[in-house]
Amino acid sequence: MKRAIGLLAKLLRIQVRSQLQYPTSFILEVFSSAIILGFFFVSFALTFSRFDQIGGWTLGEVAFIWGITEFSFGVMDMVFSGFDYDSFGPMIRNGRFDQLLLRPVNITLQVLGSRFVLRRMGKILEGVIIFIYGLSLVNIDWTIGKIIYIPILSFSQVLFFGSLFIFGATTTFWTMERLEILNVFTYGGSEIMSYPMHIFPRAIRLIFTFLVPAIFMSYFPAVYILEKSDPLNAPGVVSFLAPLLGLGMLALALRFWKVGIRNYQSTGS
Amino acid sequence: MSEPIIQIKQLQKTFKVYKDHKGYLGALRNLFERQYNLVHAVDKISFDVQPGELVGYIGPNGAGKSTTIKMLTGLLVPTSGEVLVNGYIPWKQRKAYVKNIGAVFGQRTTLWWDLPLRDSLDLLQHIYEIPDDTFQQNLGMFREILELDPFMETPVRSLSLGQRMRADLCAALLHNPTLVFLDEPTIGLDVVAKQRIREFIQFLNHERKTTILLTTHDISDVAKLCKRVVIIDHGKILFDGHLNSLLEFFGGRRLLVVDFAEFYPEPSLGEAEIIQQDRNKVIYSFERSSISASKLINQLSENYRIRDLEVRDQPIEDTIRRIYEEQLLYNHPNGKENPSS
Ligand SMILES: Nc1ncnc2c1ncn2[C@@H]1O[C@H](COP(=O)(O)OP(=O)(O)OP(=O)(O)O)[C@@H](O)[C@H]1O
Ligand SMILES: [Mg+2]
Repeated sequence: MKRAIGLLAKLLRIQVRSQLQYPTSFILEVFSSAIILGFFFVSFALTFSRFDQIGGWTLGEVAFIWGITEFSFGVMDMVFSGFDYDSFGPMIRNGRFDQLLLRPVNITLQVLGSRFVLRRMGKILEGVIIFIYGLSLVNIDWTIGKIIYIPILSFSQVLFFGSLFIFGATTTFWTMERLEILNVFTYGGSEIMSYPMHIFPRAIRLIFTFLVPAIFMSYFPAVYILEKSDPLNAPGVVSFLAPLLGLGMLALALRFWKVGIRNYQSTGS
Repeated sequence: MSEPIIQIKQLQKTFKVYKDHKGYLGALRNLFERQYNLVHAVDKISFDVQPGELVGYIGPNGAGKSTTIKMLTGLLVPTSGEVLVNGYIPWKQRKAYVKNIGAVFGQRTTLWWDLPLRDSLDLLQHIYEIPDDTFQQNLGMFREILELDPFMETPVRSLSLGQRMRADLCAALLHNPTLVFLDEPTIGLDVVAKQRIREFIQFLNHERKTTILLTTHDISDVAKLCKRVVIIDHGKILFDGHLNSLLEFFGGRRLLVVDFAEFYPEPSLGEAEIIQQDRNKVIYSFERSSISASKLINQLSENYRIRDLEVRDQPIEDTIRRIYEEQLLYNHPNGKENPSS
């Protein structure tokens, strides 16, 4: 385990080093992406400013939770880059996944270490700025519990979104196996639509990528931290389901991932 | 004889190849009814490899070579049958097993695409926990033999095919594996590069006593390197034995190259068959077992005026090609088994 972590650290260090080869351009890139990503929030805030509050929430409160979520997503996108659907797909397709199976190291760890996109600092930075902006507008009754819960919440969000990435990556074990055969007949392009995998669980995906995180990973935790009244009158514990959901999703995702690897080893690529 | 390092019994791999319906509606239909063909990529093969052997595993395209190697390296789980390599079941005890093997797939690299070669090799030292002195010693040796120095700092994606293959070989061997799988290590290389790789393989086997299973489409790789060949086609093993005995059976044809002193329109010669005629130069082909070269030469000199002549064996490539194309082994007693029975 210790050796595995050491190896992960080394893999990440090498990538960070090569991505920082041109530090000035890297910094420019991070700032410009933070600004571009931030535009969405700015236009939202401008619209918002015409009202005092929407649905009982002020701009500051929205910024507060928006910032946390944006930050978590950025961290996740950086840490779980290896599971990014867009990079994991090609990894299966051109056989680089085989090379992981040939090495005497845990596979999940190798995928984690296979890609680390430092540029995601842009999104993280954007999240931090929006969070600070939100903090400056709201009046929070700080308690020890709240101070501790904010990092726990963010960590849970990272796990939750990361699990979604793992789910997405795992589906490629089933879709890629048929890609080569399909390519013989089609010229690509329409292939995305030909997979039941992509069509069928769209509803499920919507629920898990937007609804669940919005409600349990953001809304209810914010109700607790900002002491909002909840029109749904849900019991107080729902504010604290986030860590459970994060861990639960990760456990599920990792199990699905194992099944995917087993399938890959029986069908080949 | 010592315990075999590779034991394969009735090994089988069958792929399901789905025939998909096209388009949106087709995608929907796929959910309910999916038709498939079964491809018997490897069909109940059995053979052993002893420690220190260098075995050539050959066969035409799609014969099942790579599928076999993937099962032996633990990348694929067999449909049925048994494999025991180095005392491990490759796909069951993956992490422990891969510590002591090396594998090179000529078609794809096992190195980190974006990293300079040096970084890739450094990472491998960590991954395999290679002690510093072993690592330095091996790296030093491989750098010299494989001439890696000119591109140690180059990202792997920028390497030429030949350079990449040398880099991959080095990478697969740094941890002193006792057993190495090479799947087409000379594919796409020029003559010089091929020669260099061959010498390296020979060095590994002779000097370091590494057991090697090698697949290739270049029969001269096998002729130069391997005493033993295993021939597979359509997933079945057709031959397992000495290359020489194979050639004795099927390399029976020899060539007689004659340079006549004058032009003869049709210089026929008993049982020998003219396979090429270019003015005064004629190439005959004859069966070694049915007539001797000296008899033919006597006949020639009785009937024609000859300037020069030469007897040649048919190139091994031609023999092997004939074996594949005419499926000679299927009906020959020296063939392993008869798939039609
Ligand atoms: N993942 C897979 N799914 C379906 N069929 C496969 C798969 N991998 C291989 N096959 C089929 O199995 C057969 C054997 O393929 P294999 O790659 O082992 O051949 P090979 O001897 O290595 O050929 P080559 O010399 O061309 O590399 C072929 O018919 C191939 O199409
Ligand atoms: Mg092959």
